[in-house]
Amino acid sequence: MKTKKKKIRLFLILLSVLIIVVLIFFFGSRKEKIKHVVKPSGTSSAVKPTKTVQMKKVTLFFLSEDDNLLHPEEREIQASSSVNDEAKELVEELIKGSKTGLLGPIPENTRVRQVFITSDGTAYVDLSRNLLGANYYGSSGEMAVVYSIVNSLAYNFKSVKKVSLLVEGNERETLGGHIDLSQPFVPDYSLVAR
Amino acid sequence: MPKFFRTLIAGLITLTLIGAVSASFALTGKKAKSVPTLKVTVEDESGFSKLQVSSNTNLSYSFKKSGNSLTISFKAPSGLKLDKKPFSSQLVKSVELAKSPNGYSLIIKTGAEDFTFSHSARKNPFELIVNLKLKGEKSSPPESSFSTAEKPAGQPAQTQAAAATEASAKGIGSKNQVKTIVIDPGHGGIETGAKGSFGTLEKDITLSISKKLKDDIERGLKYRVVMTREDDVVVPLDKRAAIANNNKADLFISIHANGSRRLRASGSETYFLSLNATDEEARRLAYFENNSGELKNEVSTNDFDDLKLILWDMAQAAYLKQSSQLAEIVQNELNELLNTKNRGVKQAPFKVLTGVACPAILVEVAFITNPEEEKMLQSDEFQTKVAEAIYQGLNKFLQLYEKQ
Ligand SMILES: [Zn+2]
Repeated sequence: MKTKKKKIRLFLILLSVLIIVVLIFFFGSRKEKIKHVVKPSGTSSAVKPTKTVQMKKVTLFFLSEDDNLLHPEEREIQASSSVNDEAKELVEELIKGSKTGLLGPIPENTRVRQVFITSDGTAYVDLSRNLLGANYYGSSGEMAVVYSIVNSLAYNFKSVKKVSLLVEGNERETLGGHIDLSQPFVPDYSLVAR
Repeated sequence: MPKFFRTLIAGLITLTLIGAVSASFALTGKKAKSVPTLKVTVEDESGFSKLQVSSNTNLSYSFKKSGNSLTISFKAPSGLKLDKKPFSSQLVKSVELAKSPNGYSLIIKTGAEDFTFSHSARKNPFELIVNLKLKGEKSSPPESSFSTAEKPAGQPAQTQAAAATEASAKGIGSKNQVKTIVIDPGHGGIETGAKGSFGTLEKDITLSISKKLKDDIERGLKYRVVMTREDDVVVPLDKRAAIANNNKADLFISIHANGSRRLRASGSETYFLSLNATDEEARRLAYFENNSGELKNEVSTNDFDDLKLILWDMAQAAYLKQSSQLAEIVQNELNELLNTKNRGVKQAPFKVLTGVACPAILVEVAFITNPEEEKMLQSDEFQTKVAEAIYQGLNKFLQLYEKQ
């Protein structure tokens, strides 16, 4: 009897040790995967004073003075384990505007309050009220704001299938009287220059 | 014990743990919302079929008849489920619930196209009774016992039921009788619209062109013109659609001047609505509605709407074909009469067009943000030419329709 109990106890201890080992292995390998996906910030690690910041290449869509289409521009954002954080940073970069002479359709003083992506693939982009009332908000101006955000998010994040715009946390009818914001938008790449 | 087995057991336990945790997450997620249920029964009475819809929640709804089907659209922000009793009916063939862009649609398919319907409803608990009958049938459905109780004052139940029947009859019978044109001057009041660099406001240009268009139509055609605004005032977007539907509009023209961050952007374009449909079901429903083909003018009143604003969430979905034709014709006229760059016919999800229950377009005359075009937009001569071009377009479209 006693030896049997001892055997069981030994078995249980071994089991729990194994579970821990398995768990460590499981999470350990995940971390490694993330490291793999994220591109290290190149050779400049010695130059930076603190830790190396891992960067991620993204494509943003801006307007061009030449035609009525959206044009891609590559940019690097800080990689994060949270897609919401990366998506927020992407929209912030979009608002900062182009570095290659393209036109940013979103008013520059707009703040990104929050970006969150739901399990059904809807990205909610919550922006400050500075988004509203731009002089150039005709139909074309509003379409450019909507689709630069929608296309940029959907193009860079596989988990984003559609995008809903919020202003100060609330649903908004339109930006300036034209495009209906009450429904989420699916990306439209026919608006992008080839 | 061999190492292999221990590893296996450890693996299994880990999997079970992960499974249990995710299962409990799933359970808590499901508990969060209670979705209202639509209970639907269908019964044949003498000469007509009675469809009864009840729910524990009060719902607002609207009707649309198209071909051999009747669609009841419900606003249901927290979802909707269907609980339907099996039935066999002479007229009603199937009842299905589908997700629509702004809620849910109960699609009732019948065995014949020439049916009419009347309805009555009450609140707390919500109950909607729809009587469907073939046009040839003689016996008329009796008034439901409660139908007079909840009606707004001054509108007896009988007129309402009669109106619904009359409306569905009109859709099939005397179609293509265009009588009212609604002109919608964009923006107004504190909602100025786009602004030009010389300070021109979109709202002023749109009102001025709209007034000229109104004069042209009243001079040249025997149609009534209704303006959504005559002065510099704010008119909410859904109210504009409601004005059109309340006046049984046959055509709806919204006039705007465009704006872009691109100073060089120029030219005129004509838009019709694109359904910003995000799921397959909505697309399927829109397709099915678009292919009904007939120019209808059914108007149904909503019992729960005190202002009696007739506004269907996605009413425009049924008119996209005619709207695209109208847009094409008007854009051609603009190209001929104006020297602006042709930017063509386009589709976009315009808030003001979604609820309009007739062919509807939005004309972007020129770019107010382009300094040259801004000057042009200010000139009386250009405004007159634009109004004339749009008038010619409407005229051509109406002639085309009267021939059909
Ligand atoms: Zn406008």
